[in-house]
Amino acid sequence: MHEIRTGFGDVLKRQLELAERNYELLADHGVRAVNVMGAIGSGKTTLILRLAERLRARGLRVGAIAGDVAGDDDFKKFQAAGLPSALINTEDQCHLDPHRVRHALQEFPLAEVDVLFVENVGNLVCPADFPLGCEQEVVVISVTEGDDMVRKHPKIFAQTDVVTINKLDLAEVVGVNPQRLVEDYRRVNPHGRVVLTDAKSGRGVEELLSALGLAE
Amino acid sequence: MHEYSLAHSLLQGLLEHLEREPVSGRVRKVHVRQGELLILSQQALKEAWHILTERTPLAGSELEIERVEVRVRCRSCGYRGPVPRVEGEGWHFQAPVLSCPRCGGRVEIEEGRELAIIALTVEEAPAGEVDPCDS
Repeated sequence: MHEIRTGFGDVLKRQLELAERNYELLADHGVRAVNVMGAIGSGKTTLILRLAERLRARGLRVGAIAGDVAGDDDFKKFQAAGLPSALINTEDQCHLDPHRVRHALQEFPLAEVDVLFVENVGNLVCPADFPLGCEQEVVVISVTEGDDMVRKHPKIFAQTDVVTINKLDLAEVVGVNPQRLVEDYRRVNPHGRVVLTDAKSGRGVEELLSALGLAE
Repeated sequence: MHEYSLAHSLLQGLLEHLEREPVSGRVRKVHVRQGELLILSQQALKEAWHILTERTPLAGSELEIERVEVRVRCRSCGYRGPVPRVEGEGWHFQAPVLSCPRCGGRVEIEEGRELAIIALTVEEAPAGEVDPCDS
Protein backbone atom coordinates (compact mmCIF):
# COMPACT_ATOMS: atom_id res chain seq x y z
CA MET A 1 0.00 0.00 0.00
CA HIS A 2 1.12 3.52 -0.58
CA GLU A 3 -0.43 6.89 -0.09
CA ILE A 4 -0.87 9.49 -2.78
CA ARG A 5 -1.52 13.05 -1.70
CA THR A 6 -4.02 14.87 -3.83
CA GLY A 7 -4.89 18.51 -3.62
CA PHE A 8 -8.13 18.62 -5.54
CA GLY A 9 -11.81 18.61 -5.32
CA ASP A 10 -13.20 20.51 -2.37
CA VAL A 11 -16.81 19.89 -3.35
CA LEU A 12 -18.07 22.73 -1.20
CA LYS A 13 -15.64 25.17 -2.76
CA ARG A 14 -17.31 24.24 -6.03
CA GLN A 15 -20.70 25.17 -4.53
CA LEU A 16 -19.21 28.43 -3.35
CA GLU A 17 -17.90 29.22 -6.84
CA LEU A 18 -21.35 28.59 -8.30
CA ALA A 19 -22.86 30.82 -5.61
CA GLU A 20 -20.38 33.58 -6.46
CA ARG A 21 -21.50 33.46 -10.09
CA ASN A 22 -25.10 33.93 -8.92
CA TYR A 23 -23.97 36.83 -6.75
CA GLU A 24 -22.35 38.48 -9.77
CA LEU A 25 -25.40 37.90 -11.97
CA LEU A 26 -27.63 39.51 -9.34
CA ALA A 27 -25.19 42.40 -8.84
CA ASP A 28 -25.02 43.00 -12.62
CA HIS A 29 -28.78 43.59 -12.56
CA GLY A 30 -28.66 45.65 -9.37
CA VAL A 31 -30.81 43.08 -7.59
CA ARG A 32 -30.49 42.65 -3.82
CA ALA A 33 -31.33 39.06 -2.92
CA VAL A 34 -32.24 37.45 0.41
CA ASN A 35 -32.02 33.71 1.11
CA VAL A 36 -34.90 32.93 3.50
CA MET A 37 -34.33 29.72 5.46
CA GLY A 38 -36.27 28.02 8.23
CA ALA A 39 -38.31 25.00 9.22
CA ILE A 40 -41.56 23.94 7.54
CA GLY A 41 -44.36 26.13 8.83
CA SER A 42 -42.13 28.74 10.47
CA GLY A 43 -43.84 31.47 8.43
CA LYS A 44 -41.29 32.15 5.68
CA THR A 45 -43.88 32.77 2.95
CA THR A 46 -46.06 35.10 5.04
CA LEU A 47 -43.03 37.08 6.18
CA ILE A 48 -41.84 37.48 2.59
CA LEU A 49 -45.30 38.76 1.58
CA ARG A 50 -45.27 41.29 4.46
CA LEU A 51 -41.74 42.45 3.65
CA ALA A 52 -42.72 42.78 -0.02
CA GLU A 53 -45.75 44.95 0.84
CA ARG A 54 -43.58 47.41 2.73
CA LEU A 55 -40.87 47.52 0.10
CA ARG A 56 -43.44 48.10 -2.65
CA ALA A 57 -45.00 50.90 -0.62
CA ARG A 58 -41.57 52.56 -0.84
CA GLY A 59 -41.63 52.20 -4.61
CA LEU A 60 -39.26 49.22 -4.83
CA ARG A 61 -39.97 46.33 -7.19
CA VAL A 62 -39.96 42.95 -5.45
CA GLY A 63 -39.75 39.40 -6.82
CA ALA A 64 -39.73 35.97 -5.19
CA ILE A 65 -38.50 32.47 -5.92
CA ALA A 66 -40.33 29.65 -4.15
CA GLY A 67 -38.20 26.60 -3.35
CA ASP A 68 -40.17 23.51 -2.44
CA VAL A 69 -39.67 19.78 -2.63
CA ALA A 70 -42.90 19.54 -4.64
CA GLY A 71 -46.04 21.57 -5.26
CA ASP A 72 -46.69 25.19 -6.10
CA ASP A 73 -48.61 26.51 -3.05
CA ASP A 74 -46.07 29.18 -2.09
CA PHE A 75 -45.45 30.10 -5.71
CA LYS A 76 -49.19 30.70 -6.17
CA LYS A 77 -49.23 32.98 -3.11
CA PHE A 78 -46.42 35.06 -4.62
CA GLN A 79 -48.27 35.19 -7.94
CA ALA A 80 -51.52 36.20 -6.24
CA ALA A 81 -49.66 39.05 -4.57
CA GLY A 82 -48.55 40.21 -8.00
CA LEU A 83 -44.84 39.52 -7.48
CA PRO A 84 -42.75 38.44 -10.45
CA SER A 85 -42.00 34.90 -9.28
CA ALA A 86 -40.52 31.54 -10.13
CA LEU A 87 -40.82 28.04 -8.74
CA ILE A 88 -38.00 25.59 -8.05
CA ASN A 89 -39.21 22.07 -7.28
CA THR A 90 -36.22 20.19 -5.93
CA GLU A 91 -37.82 16.76 -6.43
CA ASP A 92 -37.10 15.53 -2.93
CA GLN A 93 -33.79 17.31 -2.48
CA CYS A 94 -33.90 18.80 1.01
CA HIS A 95 -32.39 22.19 0.15
CA LEU A 96 -31.85 24.66 -2.69
CA ASP A 97 -28.41 24.60 -4.27
CA PRO A 98 -26.62 27.31 -6.27
CA HIS A 99 -26.89 25.36 -9.51
CA ARG A 100 -30.70 25.15 -9.43
CA VAL A 101 -30.92 28.78 -8.37
CA ARG A 102 -28.69 29.74 -11.30
CA HIS A 103 -31.15 28.17 -13.75
CA ALA A 104 -34.07 29.96 -12.09
CA LEU A 105 -32.20 33.29 -12.20
CA GLN A 106 -31.42 32.87 -15.89
CA GLU A 107 -35.15 32.60 -16.63
CA PHE A 108 -36.16 35.32 -14.16
CA PRO A 109 -37.04 38.88 -15.28
CA LEU A 110 -34.20 40.32 -13.17
CA ALA A 111 -34.46 43.69 -14.89
CA GLU A 112 -37.94 44.07 -13.40
CA VAL A 113 -37.00 43.74 -9.72
CA ASP A 114 -34.88 45.57 -7.15
CA VAL A 115 -35.22 43.03 -4.33
CA LEU A 116 -35.55 39.27 -4.72
CA PHE A 117 -36.56 36.87 -1.94
CA VAL A 118 -35.43 33.28 -2.38
CA GLU A 119 -37.51 31.05 -0.14
CA ASN A 120 -35.51 27.93 0.66
CA VAL A 121 -36.97 24.46 1.19
CA GLY A 122 -38.53 24.19 4.66
CA ASN A 123 -35.70 22.57 6.60
CA LEU A 124 -33.44 23.80 9.38
CA VAL A 125 -30.55 21.49 8.62
CA CYS A 126 -29.43 21.13 5.02
CA PRO A 127 -29.79 24.64 3.54
CA ALA A 128 -27.01 25.79 5.89
CA ASP A 129 -24.44 23.90 3.85
CA PHE A 130 -25.33 25.45 0.48
CA PRO A 131 -24.65 29.13 -0.20
CA LEU A 132 -26.87 30.46 -3.01
CA GLY A 133 -25.16 33.75 -3.80
CA CYS A 134 -27.68 36.02 -2.06
CA GLU A 135 -26.22 39.08 -0.32
CA GLN A 136 -28.33 38.45 2.78
CA GLU A 137 -29.45 35.35 4.63
CA VAL A 138 -32.10 35.07 7.29
CA VAL A 139 -33.32 32.13 9.36
CA VAL A 140 -36.96 32.18 10.44
CA ILE A 141 -37.90 30.32 13.63
CA SER A 142 -41.42 30.29 15.02
CA VAL A 143 -42.04 30.12 18.75
CA THR A 144 -44.26 27.08 18.11
CA GLU A 145 -41.11 25.06 17.34
CA GLY A 146 -40.11 25.31 21.00
CA ASP A 147 -37.59 27.44 22.87
CA ASP A 148 -34.72 24.95 22.37
CA MET A 149 -34.46 25.38 18.58
CA VAL A 150 -31.15 27.24 18.67
CA ARG A 151 -29.59 24.65 20.99
CA LYS A 152 -30.73 21.86 18.72
CA HIS A 153 -29.35 23.45 15.54
CA PRO A 154 -26.53 25.78 16.60
CA LYS A 155 -24.55 25.38 13.39
CA ILE A 156 -27.06 27.13 11.12
CA PHE A 157 -27.51 29.94 13.67
CA ALA A 158 -23.78 30.41 14.25
CA GLN A 159 -23.38 31.04 10.52
CA THR A 160 -26.41 33.24 9.84
CA ASP A 161 -26.29 36.92 10.72
CA VAL A 162 -30.01 37.69 10.77
CA VAL A 163 -32.57 35.62 12.66
CA THR A 164 -36.24 36.30 13.14
CA ILE A 165 -38.37 34.73 15.84
CA ASN A 166 -41.84 34.63 14.34
CA LYS A 167 -45.42 33.97 15.54
CA LEU A 168 -44.68 36.01 18.63
CA ASP A 169 -48.43 36.30 19.25
CA LEU A 170 -48.50 32.56 20.04
CA ALA A 171 -45.60 32.53 22.52
CA GLU A 172 -47.82 32.66 25.56
CA VAL A 173 -50.28 30.08 24.23
CA VAL A 174 -47.52 27.52 23.60
CA GLY A 175 -45.64 28.46 26.78
CA VAL A 176 -42.42 29.49 25.07
CA ASN A 177 -40.15 32.28 26.26
CA PRO A 178 -38.74 33.97 23.13
CA GLN A 179 -35.95 35.54 25.22
CA ARG A 180 -34.40 32.11 25.67
CA LEU A 181 -34.10 31.80 21.88
CA VAL A 182 -32.63 35.31 21.70
CA GLU A 183 -30.05 34.56 24.41
CA ASP A 184 -29.05 31.24 22.86
CA TYR A 185 -28.60 32.90 19.48
CA ARG A 186 -26.43 35.65 20.98
CA ARG A 187 -24.20 32.98 22.53
CA VAL A 188 -23.40 31.27 19.21
CA ASN A 189 -23.44 34.44 17.12
CA PRO A 190 -22.55 37.56 19.14
CA HIS A 191 -22.55 39.70 15.95
CA GLY A 192 -25.92 38.59 14.59
CA ARG A 193 -29.17 40.56 14.64
CA VAL A 194 -32.31 39.01 16.00
CA VAL A 195 -35.79 40.41 15.40
CA LEU A 196 -39.06 39.36 17.01
CA THR A 197 -41.94 39.27 14.53
CA ASP A 198 -45.56 38.39 14.15
CA ALA A 199 -45.96 38.29 10.40
CA LYS A 200 -49.74 38.08 10.57
CA SER A 201 -50.17 41.44 12.31
CA GLY A 202 -47.03 42.93 10.76
CA ARG A 203 -45.32 43.46 14.12
CA GLY A 204 -41.53 43.62 13.80
CA VAL A 205 -41.56 43.53 10.00
CA GLU A 206 -40.12 47.04 9.73
CA GLU A 207 -37.29 46.09 12.09
CA LEU A 208 -36.59 42.99 10.03
CA LEU A 209 -36.30 45.13 6.90
CA SER A 210 -33.75 47.25 8.69
CA ALA A 211 -31.81 44.18 9.94
CA LEU A 212 -31.65 43.01 6.32
CA GLY A 213 -30.34 46.42 5.24
CA LEU A 214 -33.45 47.02 3.12
CA ALA A 215 -35.07 49.80 5.16
CA GLU A 216 -33.46 52.77 3.40
CA MET B 1 -29.75 14.35 4.41
CA HIS B 2 -27.63 15.58 1.52
CA GLU B 3 -24.88 13.02 1.95
CA TYR B 4 -25.72 11.33 -1.36
CA SER B 5 -25.37 14.49 -3.42
CA LEU B 6 -22.08 15.34 -1.73
CA ALA B 7 -20.76 11.77 -2.04
CA HIS B 8 -21.72 11.92 -5.71
CA SER B 9 -19.76 15.17 -6.17
CA LEU B 10 -16.74 13.66 -4.41
CA LEU B 11 -16.94 10.57 -6.62
CA GLN B 12 -17.30 12.55 -9.87
CA GLY B 13 -14.32 14.68 -8.91
CA LEU B 14 -12.19 11.68 -8.07
CA LEU B 15 -13.10 9.74 -11.23
CA GLU B 16 -12.20 12.76 -13.36
CA HIS B 17 -8.96 13.17 -11.43
CA LEU B 18 -8.04 9.50 -11.96
CA GLU B 19 -8.68 9.82 -15.67
CA ARG B 20 -6.15 12.65 -15.84
CA GLU B 21 -3.71 11.10 -13.39
CA PRO B 22 -4.22 7.32 -13.26
CA VAL B 23 -2.86 5.26 -10.37
CA SER B 24 -1.40 1.78 -10.72
CA GLY B 25 -3.38 -0.51 -8.49
CA ARG B 26 -6.58 -0.44 -6.53
CA VAL B 27 -7.69 2.51 -4.46
CA ARG B 28 -8.39 1.13 -0.96
CA LYS B 29 -8.91 4.28 1.02
CA VAL B 30 -10.03 7.75 0.12
CA HIS B 31 -9.00 10.29 2.76
CA VAL B 32 -11.45 13.13 3.19
CA ARG B 33 -11.38 16.28 5.33
CA GLN B 34 -14.78 17.35 6.62
CA GLY B 35 -15.27 20.73 8.23
CA GLU B 36 -17.15 20.57 11.53
CA LEU B 37 -19.67 23.21 10.43
CA LEU B 38 -21.08 20.88 7.80
CA ILE B 39 -24.21 19.16 8.97
CA LEU B 40 -23.32 15.73 7.66
CA SER B 41 -23.56 12.22 9.03
CA GLN B 42 -20.22 10.48 8.48
CA GLN B 43 -21.97 7.12 8.58
CA ALA B 44 -24.43 8.16 5.88
CA LEU B 45 -21.62 9.60 3.76
CA LYS B 46 -19.72 6.29 3.98
CA GLU B 47 -22.81 4.30 3.06
CA ALA B 48 -23.54 6.61 0.14
CA TRP B 49 -19.94 6.16 -1.03
CA HIS B 50 -20.24 2.38 -0.79
CA ILE B 51 -23.39 2.34 -2.94
CA LEU B 52 -22.37 4.99 -5.46
CA THR B 53 -18.96 3.41 -6.17
CA GLU B 54 -20.48 0.06 -7.18
CA ARG B 55 -19.44 -0.78 -10.74
CA THR B 56 -16.85 1.99 -10.81
CA PRO B 57 -13.07 1.56 -10.54
CA LEU B 58 -13.46 2.75 -6.95
CA ALA B 59 -15.69 -0.14 -5.88
CA GLY B 60 -14.50 -1.56 -2.57
CA SER B 61 -12.76 1.62 -1.49
CA GLU B 62 -13.60 3.22 1.83
CA LEU B 63 -13.83 6.77 2.99
CA GLU B 64 -11.54 7.81 5.84
CA ILE B 65 -13.03 10.98 7.21
CA GLU B 66 -11.05 13.46 9.27
CA ARG B 67 -13.06 16.11 11.09
CA VAL B 68 -11.63 19.61 10.83
CA GLU B 69 -12.31 22.13 13.58
CA VAL B 70 -13.20 25.72 12.85
CA ARG B 71 -10.34 28.17 12.43
CA VAL B 72 -11.03 31.83 11.84
CA ARG B 73 -9.34 35.08 10.90
CA CYS B 74 -10.42 38.25 12.69
CA ARG B 75 -11.22 41.20 10.46
CA SER B 76 -10.28 43.68 13.22
CA CYS B 77 -7.18 42.44 15.04
CA GLY B 78 -5.90 39.80 12.64
CA TYR B 79 -6.15 36.90 15.11
CA ARG B 80 -5.90 33.52 13.37
CA GLY B 81 -6.76 30.29 15.12
CA PRO B 82 -9.47 28.27 16.86
CA VAL B 83 -12.54 29.67 18.62
CA PRO B 84 -14.20 28.78 21.95
CA ARG B 85 -17.31 26.63 22.07
CA VAL B 86 -20.71 26.85 23.65
CA GLU B 87 -21.25 23.80 25.80
CA GLY B 88 -23.71 22.78 28.43
CA GLU B 89 -26.91 20.96 29.08
CA GLY B 90 -29.34 21.08 26.20
CA TRP B 91 -26.75 22.00 23.57
CA HIS B 92 -26.73 19.19 21.07
CA PHE B 93 -23.40 20.06 19.51
CA GLN B 94 -20.39 21.85 20.91
CA ALA B 95 -21.20 24.86 18.81
CA PRO B 96 -18.25 27.04 17.83
CA VAL B 97 -18.74 30.74 18.61
CA LEU B 98 -17.99 32.63 15.42
CA SER B 99 -16.42 35.67 17.01
CA CYS B 100 -12.82 36.67 17.74
CA PRO B 101 -11.66 35.21 21.08
CA ARG B 102 -9.07 38.00 21.42
CA CYS B 103 -11.00 41.21 20.63
CA GLY B 104 -14.59 40.08 20.05
CA GLY B 105 -14.49 41.25 16.43
CA ARG B 106 -16.17 39.75 13.38
CA VAL B 107 -14.36 36.79 11.86
CA GLU B 108 -14.03 35.02 8.56
CA ILE B 109 -14.05 31.23 8.52
CA GLU B 110 -10.75 29.89 7.20
CA GLU B 111 -11.30 26.22 8.00
CA GLY B 112 -14.32 24.23 9.07
CA ARG B 113 -16.53 24.35 6.00
CA GLU B 114 -14.60 22.10 3.63
CA LEU B 115 -15.29 18.67 2.19
CA ALA B 116 -12.28 17.61 0.18
CA ILE B 117 -10.35 14.53 -0.83
CA ILE B 118 -6.78 14.98 0.36
CA ALA B 119 -5.15 11.58 -0.25
CA LEU B 120 -5.62 8.08 -1.61
CA THR B 121 -4.26 4.82 -0.28
CA VAL B 122 -3.45 2.58 -3.23
CA GLU B 123 -2.66 -1.14 -3.21
CA GLU B 124 -0.39 -2.09 -6.08
CA ALA B 125 -1.60 -5.05 -8.12
CA PRO B 126 0.87 -8.00 -7.89
CA ALA B 127 2.73 -8.52 -11.17
CA GLY B 128 0.75 -10.63 -13.64
CA GLU B 129 -2.59 -10.29 -11.92
CA VAL B 130 -5.34 -9.07 -14.17
CA ASP B 131 -7.37 -6.22 -12.82
CA PRO B 132 -11.00 -7.41 -12.94
CA CYS B 133 -12.03 -3.93 -14.01
CA ASP B 134 -10.01 -4.24 -17.23
CA SER B 135 -11.46 -7.59 -18.29
